[in-house]
Amino acid sequence: MLLQVIFSGLATGSIYALVALGLALIYNTTEHVNFAQGEMSMVSAFIGFTFFNFLGLSLPLAILLTLIISALLGIIVERLVIRPAIRAPHFNVFIITLGLSIVMKSLAGFIWSHNDYPYPSIFPDETISVGSATIDLIGLGNIATTVVLMLILYVFFKYTRYGTAMRAVSENQNAAFLMGVNVYQSFSVTWAISFLVAGVAGILMAPVIFLSTHMGIVVINGFAAAILGGWGSIPGAIIGGLLLGVIDNVAPLYFPSQIKNIVPFMVIFVVLVIRPRGLMGVERFTKV
Amino acid sequence: MDKKKVLGAIAGLIALYILPMFLGNYSIFLLSMLAVYALVSIGLNLLMGFTGQIAAGHAGFLALGAYFTAILSSRIEWMPCIVVLLLAGIFSGIIGFLLGIPILRLKGFYIAMATLAFGVVVSEIILQWSSLTNGDNGINVPVATIAGFAFDSDYKLFYLIVSVTIILTILATNLVNGYIGRAFIALRESEVAAQTIGIDLAKYKTIAFAISAFYTGVAGGLFAYLITYLSPDAFTIELSVDFIAMIVIGGMGSILGSIIGAVILTGMQQILAGLLDLQILIFGISLIVFMIFMPKGISGMIFDLKERFASSK
Repeated sequence: MLLQVIFSGLATGSIYALVALGLALIYNTTEHVNFAQGEMSMVSAFIGFTFFNFLGLSLPLAILLTLIISALLGIIVERLVIRPAIRAPHFNVFIITLGLSIVMKSLAGFIWSHNDYPYPSIFPDETISVGSATIDLIGLGNIATTVVLMLILYVFFKYTRYGTAMRAVSENQNAAFLMGVNVYQSFSVTWAISFLVAGVAGILMAPVIFLSTHMGIVVINGFAAAILGGWGSIPGAIIGGLLLGVIDNVAPLYFPSQIKNIVPFMVIFVVLVIRPRGLMGVERFTKV
Repeated sequence: MDKKKVLGAIAGLIALYILPMFLGNYSIFLLSMLAVYALVSIGLNLLMGFTGQIAAGHAGFLALGAYFTAILSSRIEWMPCIVVLLLAGIFSGIIGFLLGIPILRLKGFYIAMATLAFGVVVSEIILQWSSLTNGDNGINVPVATIAGFAFDSDYKLFYLIVSVTIILTILATNLVNGYIGRAFIALRESEVAAQTIGIDLAKYKTIAFAISAFYTGVAGGLFAYLITYLSPDAFTIELSVDFIAMIVIGGMGSILGSIIGAVILTGMQQILAGLLDLQILIFGISLIVFMIFMPKGISGMIFDLKERFASSK
């Protein structure tokens, strides 16, 4: 029983990990906190829905197009609302992304209404038995997709030109600029990748919890995961996400089932009070 | 303060107090709601606009004040409503102070997350602790009374709410112009610089939390008396975000801006009642546009125009 619950925890957690990853990517490059990360997943999932449901495309093609559009949207959003405030305090940018999240949610409401829609998964809706546990293939597929995406990103950051430039920018913006790195371009690429990751998260999430405009609230779980793992740490985002997923699923076994509603908030609160830098985070010092 | 200003303020007050005689019940109710929002707005602005701490859970403090008022005044019926409101404010203020202590270790957006979590946990506790709060069914708020006089209509309540709001607004104005307010602003501009000139960071941050929570708690009490029925689902994250929008649009770091923000929030809720999506969309767009082009909000704009006018004379 417990094994079963832990597995479904990991499946949920892989989605939280993707949201946390998107947050960490943006934070590392720009030091901005993106409150709209969850709404980005929601919008991407709806775009995919439009492609296969209204335009009748096949699911893989719809997903491919969705991811391309997601990346473009990331560039557009960065240009439109983040870059004009690039010299403003981070406080202001946080409020801007907060505004962005509610704009996306209400626009999605206008376009697609606030109903729930069933969403097909690219993975078969079947189960296999491993020992005493039944494992559903959608959950397994979600975990696998997350792992593959992580590996791709790892290679991207480690070995490509853009990736190296982005690491340089996150290390020290001014030094990177002086070394000839195009800092603005790095910001664009960061938002594109982050929106793309959000898109993957949205497409994986929608089959599990139904597609609706309320999906964006997953950003809270993303924050909880990122804070638990250590804010700004990429491995931390993954571990925090998976761990939060497990806590999320195990907690109702031992506590009243309503606990599920407040697990992420409890995690945020407890981690911030006891150990603000999370599991893998590093202490940050501010220069004056 | 010069004579003209004092006379203007007195004239404004008299106008405000005789206004209800010319208005219908609903307009009076709206004005009272506006006054409640203005209090929340001032409370939030003290913490966010003046001290620079993003607080995304003020619906939680509003809920604390509101439920405290409802529960206390139904248990101890003879207690004058002013005392109840004061206690509600103090109760919420103590919680704010306690919340401020762990938050001292946190910076920037972590504070936003912690306060956001706080707001949600408060409404969840209210929902689950049904022996005290009546949970999902909501709770009725007794009529506000003071020495046998009952504020049993919107018309009478208007005077209670507006008077409390005016007194607390004047106090807030004094506060921000005094030593404490200047300490808040110094902390907002640079925590390190403020500390080097001898401002006790821990002390003033927790004070900011406590005062902000006090204002919002009192506002919660007035809110309870005004709408007479409380349910936990009224105090959502969305409400906290509305409050943030209110001070961003009105003007951060300005008491006048807080009031302007409250006027705009009440007005929008009124004009766009039933068009919730449009209302949220406009709030979202204004958050973005104001933060990019006018980070000081409407009151900052008024101030700039005044300056320009004065210098061109």
